[in-house]
Amino acid sequence: MLDIRRISTNRWWHKKNSWIFFGIFLFLLFIRISKGSIYKDFYYFISKPFWPGQFQKEVILKSIEQESLIKVDLLKKDNIRLREILSLQESSNDDNISAAVISRKTGSWWRQIILNKGSRDGVEIGSTVVGPGGLLGRVKNTSLFTSSVSLLTSPESKLGVWVDRIQINGLLVGSGDDHPNLIIYSKNADIKVGDFVSSSPASTLLPPNIPIGIVKSVEEPFQAKKMAKVLLLAKPQVIDWVQILKLKLNE
Amino acid sequence: MNNFYKKRLSIVIFIFIPIIFLWHPNWLGFLRIQPYWPLFWLLPWSMINRSINGAILGLFLGLILDSITLDSNFTQIPGLILCGVWFGRIKMHSDLLVGHFRHGLICAFGSFLCGTLYFLQILFNNFSDNNFLLFIPSVQNILAEVFLTGLFAPLICSQLLRFFKSFMGEKHDNKFS
Repeated sequence: MLDIRRISTNRWWHKKNSWIFFGIFLFLLFIRISKGSIYKDFYYFISKPFWPGQFQKEVILKSIEQESLIKVDLLKKDNIRLREILSLQESSNDDNISAAVISRKTGSWWRQIILNKGSRDGVEIGSTVVGPGGLLGRVKNTSLFTSSVSLLTSPESKLGVWVDRIQINGLLVGSGDDHPNLIIYSKNADIKVGDFVSSSPASTLLPPNIPIGIVKSVEEPFQAKKMAKVLLLAKPQVIDWVQILKLKLNE
Repeated sequence: MNNFYKKRLSIVIFIFIPIIFLWHPNWLGFLRIQPYWPLFWLLPWSMINRSINGAILGLFLGLILDSITLDSNFTQIPGLILCGVWFGRIKMHSDLLVGHFRHGLICAFGSFLCGTLYFLQILFNNFSDNNFLLFIPSVQNILAEVFLTGLFAPLICSQLLRFFKSFMGEKHDNKFS
């Protein structure tokens, strides 16, 4: 009788520690399912005193000037093309949201930035994020006060892009280093070092003609594909302020 | 009050791991890559609390870190669980100096294991597209992370081990008194 009682009191569910661990596990599972929004909002508050100031003005103005020149040229060409074709997706610069970068992971496998504007400020998942120089990435996750942006260099990033000189669409694939790969599904594409890459006018994910980068090196054709490394114009590792382009819903 | 914080020091440090992971201090990095922060906590914790606890806390760390990174196709959980189990089987070394360097070596191997498992997931995920060769240059992420983790581990792990050990010692004393 005594033995039976002793065994029954030693069951795992009679141990307080097991229930504490189970409770912690459930709590962490909740954090995982909510995509860490509690942590991100907590980080928002504790990092508030260290947010970047306005000291980047000169660098930003120079980059914006360079970006504008390229953009005007592209927009002119695009305008002519749009007059010929009936209509393409429009880009909107009226409803941009300015946001500061409060966390950045630009090395290693996890290439993301966290911004100090979240769903409370109208940021939506899928919104495009641009910085001085051009495209940085897309909003992949939002919490109440923050939004997380997956950078173009992230191994999960895949975007349709446009090579203007040879008028061809390609796929920009992030590979976990600083230079994403441009894949063109044509063996004979005449892509050269120095070619300018922008967002594709045919893309449904991004507004057209946002500058992305310049072709840095071209590899030998492989299995009916041509690949190139792209040097990005926007530098997420130094940018402190970005613009979130609001999603324009097609009516 | 002081005793309250001392007893919960391991939990307080555990909570700050994701904060450091998000903070990503560039001045501590090499090639803009950071040491693998969770291992600095997991090694001393597992060495004191053995393999099972190491595996459970590895799972917890993995869940939190996965939730704050955006890559939904890849996970850090397997690497951290394996490290938790492995670290739990490691005995403490009596020589203080040898112990320091041993922590560096163990953490460097742990970081290599976690990095390789993550890299293999990326390769596997992109295998069907024939694009997996694009990811080979990113092996430098693993190497830089291994180097930094091995460099900082003797400093951080030894301190944490000392803190945790003193707390555990007090806890055991209270239990037996």
